Amino acid sequence: MKRRDFIQKTVGASVASGVLVSTVGFTEVFGEEKQADGPVDMVAVKGGGPDGMFEKGIEAMGGMSRFVKPGDVVVVKPNIGWDTPPERAADTNPLLVGKIVEHCKKAGAKEVLVFDNTCDEWTRCYKNSGIEEAVKSAGGKMVSGKDKKMYKPVAINKGKSLKETTVHELVMSADVFINVPVLKNHGGATMSLSMKNLMGIVWNRGWWHKHDLHQCIADFATYRKPDLNVIDGYNVMKRNGPRGVSVADVVNMKYQILSTDMVAADTAATKIFGVDTAKVKHIELAQELGVGTMDLKSLNIKRITV
Amino acid sequence: MQKYLKKIRVLVAVLFFAAVIVSFSDVKGNLPSSIQNSALYLQFVPSALKFFTPGTVLSVGFIVVILMTFLGGRIYCSTICPLGIWQDIVIFFRRKFGPKQRLRFKKALNFLRYSILVLTILFIAFNSVLLLNLLDPYAIFGRMATHLYQPVLLFVNDLLYHIPFLGLHNMEYSPFSLIGFIFAAGMLFLVTYMAGTGGRLYCNSVCPVGTFLGWLSKYSFFKIKIAQSSCTQCGKCQAVCKANCIDIKNMEVDETRCISCYDCMPVCEVSSIGYNKHKMKPVQVAKPGTKPLKIKKGLERRLFITAIAGLAASKALALPKKAAEKITNEKEKKDPFYDRGPVAPPGVGSIRHLIDRCVACHLCVSACPTKVLQPSFLDYGLSGIDVPQMDYDAYFCNFDCHKCGEVCPTGAIIELPQEEKHLTQLGQVYLQIEYCIVESEGTACGSCSEHCPTQAVKMVPYKNTGLTAPEINPDICIGCGACEYACPATDPHKAIFVVANKEHKLAENPKEEKLEYEETDEFPF
Repeated sequence: MKRRDFIQKTVGASVASGVLVSTVGFTEVFGEEKQADGPVDMVAVKGGGPDGMFEKGIEAMGGMSRFVKPGDVVVVKPNIGWDTPPERAADTNPLLVGKIVEHCKKAGAKEVLVFDNTCDEWTRCYKNSGIEEAVKSAGGKMVSGKDKKMYKPVAINKGKSLKETTVHELVMSADVFINVPVLKNHGGATMSLSMKNLMGIVWNRGWWHKHDLHQCIADFATYRKPDLNVIDGYNVMKRNGPRGVSVADVVNMKYQILSTDMVAADTAATKIFGVDTAKVKHIELAQELGVGTMDLKSLNIKRITV
Repeated sequence: MQKYLKKIRVLVAVLFFAAVIVSFSDVKGNLPSSIQNSALYLQFVPSALKFFTPGTVLSVGFIVVILMTFLGGRIYCSTICPLGIWQDIVIFFRRKFGPKQRLRFKKALNFLRYSILVLTILFIAFNSVLLLNLLDPYAIFGRMATHLYQPVLLFVNDLLYHIPFLGLHNMEYSPFSLIGFIFAAGMLFLVTYMAGTGGRLYCNSVCPVGTFLGWLSKYSFFKIKIAQSSCTQCGKCQAVCKANCIDIKNMEVDETRCISCYDCMPVCEVSSIGYNKHKMKPVQVAKPGTKPLKIKKGLERRLFITAIAGLAASKALALPKKAAEKITNEKEKKDPFYDRGPVAPPGVGSIRHLIDRCVACHLCVSACPTKVLQPSFLDYGLSGIDVPQMDYDAYFCNFDCHKCGEVCPTGAIIELPQEEKHLTQLGQVYLQIEYCIVESEGTACGSCSEHCPTQAVKMVPYKNTGLTAPEINPDICIGCGACEYACPATDPHKAIFVVANKEHKLAENPKEEKLEYEETDEFPF
């Protein structure tokens, strides 16, 4: 038995017996198709807790200092769209958001600001998602995403359907922008992933729904590429998304994807979720616009099982 | 001792006023509802309405007020009633900064005030609280607080939230309600003007609560009286009496109009005015040629005629929705969108119950976190004017929230347990697929289903387009309006909307099937 197989089997066995918890600190990098010397494009982590997986993931990405320089203003954009508790997985897991804020602060960030233009009433979303508390205790600051004054018009030069929109000024002025979507089913956009999550930094998204949603999502992805995308696949809403009806819609999949490429991250996420990538039309549309690549084989990917 | 009564009254009034202001400052519904419940417990009209509503917590605040009145007169009017205190504030500043004003004794406007009281009671007897809605001082003040004070509060927050150590958030403004604003601003102007020129004129000529408690005050144990043995008739008490009820010529106080503010006591140099001073033996009798204060004989008959007229009026008004229905024209009537009716908030049971109990104080409007609750105009009919309805253009009802039911002081909205709130059906979803973006534009949308908390609106494969379109299941719909709010269609109107239930129903529980998932060792890519 090869060493790799042995580890995989052992890990598998401990998962089955329920022994494995996020604190198990062993990581194994394996299965690279392409071992590049350059920076890591994507890290896929599985088997741990939302915060533990991020610890391993960001380390493999080269540490938060790769993205955040001392004195930077960082904007973290989780999905906080719904007034639901963390176990419903309609919002990004608070442990993950808290951990990201913590790492940003450790890397010397001057300020870490967190917001979302929520669907449900925002103060309730912030509170009941657990994100407000996690962010505050990690030293970050919650900002309202419902203040219309803060949204400024921008031109989407590469946009096909979306030529202009209004974007939250914090995203425009921030030194670092970290996008933290939660992996879930979505009735309208098929899946809610990195690019879909950016609908929470614009004001007039109703217009998008009216003018070819998938094209608008892809168009907007050309505006400001997040410096880092972290897809939370710890608890995954498999149906009735994006809000979900109850915890019965949620499966504990324990995945996380970190990437600088939204198209790649979203492609990987569809595979984890088990949906045909082609069905999530905005992914291919975004590739056509040069946002990123769907060809995972061309990327330097690290896979980690915790 | 009685000299300190005024100071005590001012202190208590300030406390009650502050409590009401705090109650109406809860823009996002984040305060514990017990604050509103206890702050407003003694408000007379809401408390009485709640007392007669089954299924609410025991509300005896109004009985306490009645007992207080039997003890010492209209203490409610000077220490608890927020509109009364507001007038005192106006009068205070008028005295401080305005031109000198010597108040005089005035005759009571008995026919006016007793007519209003009789009509109000008659309307209630015929199931319409319309006159309480329009005239109850607490309700009037509530509307002023919601539509005039809250925007100012938000404006101040807007100026201050940049200061970091205050820990304030930037807050969006609530949607502007024209009807709410007109009612609030109109009454603010009227009451303030009356207070500035005629003291507590509103309380003693219009307010049905004031008139009622004034009538009870005839039987109070302690009354403000003038000791005729020692009174020098200097007139200082009369000059400060904002109720215009001290008749210094006859050395009498009209207890039905006295609001127990005690302003007269500290100004009297010979301590001749105060509670039960009449027990001192009179030395001087009233001068000849002046009439004692009594209700004129003809008044009862005149009131009786008013009552008959009011009876007819209240019956006519008790029929809701007639007026609103006439407005919609024939063509629009065929489209269910224009006939979807006003949606009432969860916890009212039926629209009828809401109209019977709500005096439109708008506490729910002010505390609703999503601001989906907005004043209606004639949507519920004339007798439900200004009563809150669900405005799905403003927002939608938050699934886990029942703030309106928690704070409602009148029992119009009864607090529901969480599970019942989750199933209470305010109306049913209605879909006009021909106007849906998926049909009309041929592109993906799903905004409605996205927001639906029960998946009564579900996205399913649509025609062979590769797209998904909404499919509705009205049985599990709760009528929260999330789909209607989120629907981006505008041509000619929203494609999905809520048709109101006049009687609220219980929706079925959404079905749950178990999901299977097996963890794999390998990454799927």
